Amino acid sequence: MTTAAQPTDVWEHELLLTGCQAVSHAVKLADVDVIAAYPIRPYTEVMDQLSQLIADGELDAEYIIADSEHSQFEIVKHASSVGARAFGGSSGTGWMYGMEALAVTATDRLPPLFLVGNRALDDPGAFGVEHNDAMSVRDLGWLICWASTAQEALEHVFIGYRVAEDKRVRMPMALAMDGGFLTHAQHMVKVPTLEAVKQFLPPYDLGDRVLHPDNPISVAPQVNEDWVMELRRQNWEAARRARGVIKEAYKEFNGVFGSHGSQYDNPYFTEYMTEDADAVLIGIGAVCMPTQTAARRLREKGHKVGYVNLRWFRPFPTEELRACLGRFKGVGVIDRDFSQGSPDNGGILLQDVRSCLYPLRGDGPNVINFMGGLGGRDISIDECIDMYERTLAAGRGNVPEEIVSWIGLRE
Amino acid sequence: MASPVLVAKDYKPEVPSDWCPGCGDFGVLTALFQACADLQIQPHDLLVVSGIGCSSNLPGFIRSYGVHSIHGRALPFATGSKLANGAMTVVVTGGDGDGYGIGLNHFIQAMRRNINVTYIVMNNEIYGLTTGQVSPTSEPGMKTKTTPLGNLEGMLNPLALALASGCGYIARGFSGQPKHLVQLYKDGIQHPGFALIDVFSPCVTFNKHNSYTWFRERVYKLEEEDHEVGNFHAAMDKALEWGDRIPIGLVYRNPKPPPPLDVTDPALTGEPLVHQSYEIDGDTRRELIQEFA
Repeated sequence: MTTAAQPTDVWEHELLLTGCQAVSHAVKLADVDVIAAYPIRPYTEVMDQLSQLIADGELDAEYIIADSEHSQFEIVKHASSVGARAFGGSSGTGWMYGMEALAVTATDRLPPLFLVGNRALDDPGAFGVEHNDAMSVRDLGWLICWASTAQEALEHVFIGYRVAEDKRVRMPMALAMDGGFLTHAQHMVKVPTLEAVKQFLPPYDLGDRVLHPDNPISVAPQVNEDWVMELRRQNWEAARRARGVIKEAYKEFNGVFGSHGSQYDNPYFTEYMTEDADAVLIGIGAVCMPTQTAARRLREKGHKVGYVNLRWFRPFPTEELRACLGRFKGVGVIDRDFSQGSPDNGGILLQDVRSCLYPLRGDGPNVINFMGGLGGRDISIDECIDMYERTLAAGRGNVPEEIVSWIGLRE
Repeated sequence: MASPVLVAKDYKPEVPSDWCPGCGDFGVLTALFQACADLQIQPHDLLVVSGIGCSSNLPGFIRSYGVHSIHGRALPFATGSKLANGAMTVVVTGGDGDGYGIGLNHFIQAMRRNINVTYIVMNNEIYGLTTGQVSPTSEPGMKTKTTPLGNLEGMLNPLALALASGCGYIARGFSGQPKHLVQLYKDGIQHPGFALIDVFSPCVTFNKHNSYTWFRERVYKLEEEDHEVGNFHAAMDKALEWGDRIPIGLVYRNPKPPPPLDVTDPALTGEPLVHQSYEIDGDTRRELIQEFA
C-alpha cells in the first residue's frame, strides 16, 4: 500500500485499497465487536484482512470462523441481539445457503451489517458478479445499498450501521459491492479519523430489546396467527421510517465529512449528465464506469444522455426516482441480474422501476430493459453507447415490441 | 461379446485438471484410475459425485458420469443416486472443508444410514480454493490467513468420528503413496456399505505446514504393523494416534458388516429402481383400490 499524506481533522490518510480492504478499514473504525466469517470469494478478502487487523492489534473484536454461512449468519445475528455491533458477509450461493438466518435477522429486527461481494449463483460455477444474491433478501425487511467505488464502500459501513441501528429502523443492512470489479480493484481511498467516525456513528444501543441477564426477554416466541400480522406491520413501518432516517444520516454525514471531500447530494442515487437529457440509463454498481464514459462521449457528439447510478435498492426511493426519471423521454434499465418468468421476462430492477413510474402513465418515459454483464461478463463502453442510442430511440417513440434486450450475448 | 479390458488411461478424459502443479489431488486421481481399471468398472457404471472446493473439481477429470454438486452436499446427492440406481458404483470425492466442515452433518448421517458409497476425502488441512483459510482439520497453532497468530481451535478427527458413527470401512492414505491408495480404494469400493478413505493430499500453494515432507516423515503403514483391522477398540487407538507417527492404511473393517440401506430397504430389493417397471397389473390395482376404498 502506498501512502500519500493528506492529514486533516477528518481524514487520517489516503491509501491505495481494494474494495474489500476499504471495508475492513471501515469495520475497524466502526469499532465492531463481533465478526463471524466463512470463506467464499469475492467476499473472502474482507475476512482475511480483518483477521490480520486483529492479529496486528489494530482491531479489538471477537472473531470466529464458522463451519458454514448458515452458522456464520446465526452467530452474527445473536451477537447483535446481545448488544454487540456485529459484522458478517458472503457472496453468491454462500449468501443463499444462509437464507434462513437472513430471514430471521430481519424479522427479529436486528441491525448487523453484512458485506455482499456480489457473485453469480452457481450452477454453473462462476466467480463473477451478478446481483441476484443481494437482491434475494429484497422482500424480507433488509436495507440494501450498493457502493460503486471503494470510497463509497468504506463510507457506507458507517452510514449503514447508523441507519440500521437507529431505534426507528433496526433492520439488518446488506452493503453490496460488485465482485471483482470493486471487491478486488484498487482505488485511492480516503480513510477518516476515528474521532470523525465516532462523531457520526453513535454507539450501538438496542435499548430494552437487548438480550442480557439483567433484562430477561424471550426472542422469537411462537405466536402464530395471533401476532404475525402485527409484527409484519411493524417491519413494514420500520422500512417506511428508514427512508427518513437515511436522509438524516446523509445530511449528518455531509456535515461531518462533506466539507473535506465526500458529499452526497442525494442519498439514494447519483445523477450524471442528466440535466436536459432526453434519455438516461439507470443501473447498479460498477457498470456506472462504462456508462458514464459512454455518456461523456455521446454528449461530445451532441446527444443528450445521462446516467442514474442507483445506490439504495431497499428501501426503494419511489418518489425521488419517479421525480427524477419522469423528466426524461426514454429510460433504459440495466439489469445485472435476472428474474426469469417475470413480466416481459425482464430483470428485477426493471420491474421496480416500471412499478415506480406507473402513476405517471402516459406522461412518463418509455422504459426499455437491458440484461447484461451476467456471470461477471464485461459491459463495454461501446455496448453502453449502443444502449444509449436504443434508449434515445425509445424516447422518440420507437419502442421495440420486445422491450428486453440482452447485451454482449453470443448468439 | 466380452468387453475389452479396461486400463487406467481409459478413465483419463481429454479435459486437463485445473489443480496447481504439485497438488496432492493428482495422486488421488491417478490412484482412482488404477483402482477402477483393476476392478474393471465400466465408465458408464461409475458415478463420481463431489461438492465444492479444489478437490471437488475431480469429477470433471475422470471419464465416468460425474456431478459437481453444491458445497457440502455431495453425500445427499450420492444417497439419492444410489437409492435410484443401486447398480451404479458411486464414488464421492471432496475436501476436508466440504465434508468435515459445511457438510459434516451429511457425513455422519450417511454413515449412520450405511449408504453403499465410497467416500474419498482429499484432506489438505486448509481451505485451498478460497486461498488459505483455516479448516476443521487444521492443527492447533497452525498459521493461516484467518489465523495469523495460530489456530485456537481443536482438530476434527474424521477416523474416530467414522468409527463412532458406525462406518464399516475406514482407511487413511497419503497421495504421495498412490500405489498404496489403489488397494485402499479397491477394498473400499468392494466393501458392502459406506466406506471412508481419508487421504492426506498436500496443498503445496496454501498450506506450507503439512507438506509432502511433513507427511513422509510421519506416516507409517498399518499393514506393516500388527494391527487388527476387525478390532473396534484397536482401531480407535489408531484413529486417535497423531504426532510424530501417523498411521495410514486400513484402520477398521467391520468383520460382520450390516447390509447397506439399498439392500435392507424393501423398496430397493431386487432390481434397481431405475430398472423397475412403473406398470402395475390389474389385480394389484384392484387390491390397492380396495385397500384405500
